Amino acid sequence: MSVEVTGFIGLATLLVFLAIRIPVAFAMFFVGFVGICALKGWNAAMSLLSSETFTLASSSELVVVPLFILMGNVATATGMSRQLYNAAYAMIGHIRGGLASATVVGCGGFAALSGSSVASALTMGKVSLSEMERFKYDPRLSTGVVAAGGTLGILIPPSTGFVIFAILTEQSIGRLFLAGVFPGLLLLTMFVLTVSLICWIKPELGPRGPRSSSAEKIRALKGALPILLVIVVTIGGIYGGLFSPVEAAGVGAALVVIYGVVTRTLSFAAFWHSARSSIVTTATVMLILISAHMINPFLALSHVPAFVGGALVALDIPVLGILALMLLMYLILGCFLEGFAMLVLTLPIFFPVVLQIGIDPIWFGVLVVLTLEMGLISPPVGINVFIVKSVAPKVALGDIFRGVTPFWFAMLLTLVLLIAFPQISLFLPNTMFN
Amino acid sequence: MGLSANIGALGLFVEVVVIMIDVVGRFFGNPLYGSQDIVTMGMTILVFGGMAMCDRNGGHIAVDLLEPWFPAALNRIIDIVSALLGAVIFVFIAYAIYESAKLSIMLNLSTNLLRLPKAYFQWGLAGFSIVTALGMLLRAAELSLSGRDIRHEKAAEL
Repeated sequence: MSVEVTGFIGLATLLVFLAIRIPVAFAMFFVGFVGICALKGWNAAMSLLSSETFTLASSSELVVVPLFILMGNVATATGMSRQLYNAAYAMIGHIRGGLASATVVGCGGFAALSGSSVASALTMGKVSLSEMERFKYDPRLSTGVVAAGGTLGILIPPSTGFVIFAILTEQSIGRLFLAGVFPGLLLLTMFVLTVSLICWIKPELGPRGPRSSSAEKIRALKGALPILLVIVVTIGGIYGGLFSPVEAAGVGAALVVIYGVVTRTLSFAAFWHSARSSIVTTATVMLILISAHMINPFLALSHVPAFVGGALVALDIPVLGILALMLLMYLILGCFLEGFAMLVLTLPIFFPVVLQIGIDPIWFGVLVVLTLEMGLISPPVGINVFIVKSVAPKVALGDIFRGVTPFWFAMLLTLVLLIAFPQISLFLPNTMFN
Repeated sequence: MGLSANIGALGLFVEVVVIMIDVVGRFFGNPLYGSQDIVTMGMTILVFGGMAMCDRNGGHIAVDLLEPWFPAALNRIIDIVSALLGAVIFVFIAYAIYESAKLSIMLNLSTNLLRLPKAYFQWGLAGFSIVTALGMLLRAAELSLSGRDIRHEKAAEL
């Protein structure tokens, strides 16, 4: 049997395992381990297992994952996220659809504290949905905006999506974080414009909230000051060259804990809960990464990426066409696969092709993370939609999916803009790193 | 499981403290010696400390698109097979790391600055993996014998 056939049998087995609900990490691990045994023998597989597991588990770069997750969890526990929403609410809550726009801005702010989309949707959902219900917002708009706004978590740095992409493709985490800034802000603006457009067409969907007095605005802004300070110190520290991403994550986590202790908004029990919750989430991510490092060598040994690359190049279409084809595949896969799993499953196959045809890997990273975000709100398995459903159990799932549709198209438009103007993604990393 | 998660959480807390001391110390021209060693070795503890609790809380990502179309009996068999497969995987991880620890002792491998023996952390990692495998085996046994799936019950008090 040729190595290519072994590779494709492995891929077919993987798809069957995924279809019958075997956890993604277990399926990838099994196929990778058995595949390497078949191609190179037991000793090679065991040797790879021991070296990859310990190397990944003690990776200094991956320390950012638990630290940024902890920072987001503690920020939620201390009520910092509510203060962020309150500030946005005070500033723009009085305009038509203002509460929905404030939710988007709040999501963007929280995204700069936490690298997780699910955490963003959950946290901002808890904070904003009741307010929007109180002001008689249409549930489709309110739930849709939370589900979509939450996706900003993996585009606006710090982003676990970028960290995983960087580890899998050996790119710089710092460059990727920088590359996500303008696309993240662009998407945030697109979401706000979408809210405005919806409320301009149907004003009854997002009525005006009460206008805050100047004193209320100042009070709300003061309340959000500690969060803004944490964001400036951590993200600004990375960009200003003061910290490495790991140090920024550690300092950020320490600052929110110190804030919680000083303001007495964080009990020891709440901190411990946040810490345990963070390591459990990290365990999920790490096991998938370890499994990805088992299956990647198997795919490389069986020449599957080279085969796919050859087939794409043989199509004789321009580079942009191949890129569009790959992104289309991500959009389709995003409807069925969890975003993170999709990333680790497809990058070993697509990334060598990306390098082969000369696409900028950082730019590709931004585009992939954005398509991954779209998958988070695409039916039938849009995870953010389910998260919002858990916070708003009275709203039908179908209504949330309908509510999120305009935002999905806003993301598509953003994707097109990012493809048309690579500078949006590349300007910051190229300027600051060169 | 609770103990391993607590040890993992402690590892995370230590990471935060060490990084903060290092950064503040560097600001005053006196960074913490060997902080990188503590951070990387602490990472092994926090990552594998959370594995058992992750499985107990149903934290592993699966594509459950077809689940509603499968008969209940088939879903139960899949759950049992998944748990057993997970247990086998973690036994393999424990074995591979344990063997690697033997090599680390033989070669006297340690971290760069503080000279922390790598074998200690490899033993820890192997131990956490065994705890995770045992948890999965128990889950498979419960599913087979009584049909109880602990993951569908209230998540363990984190």
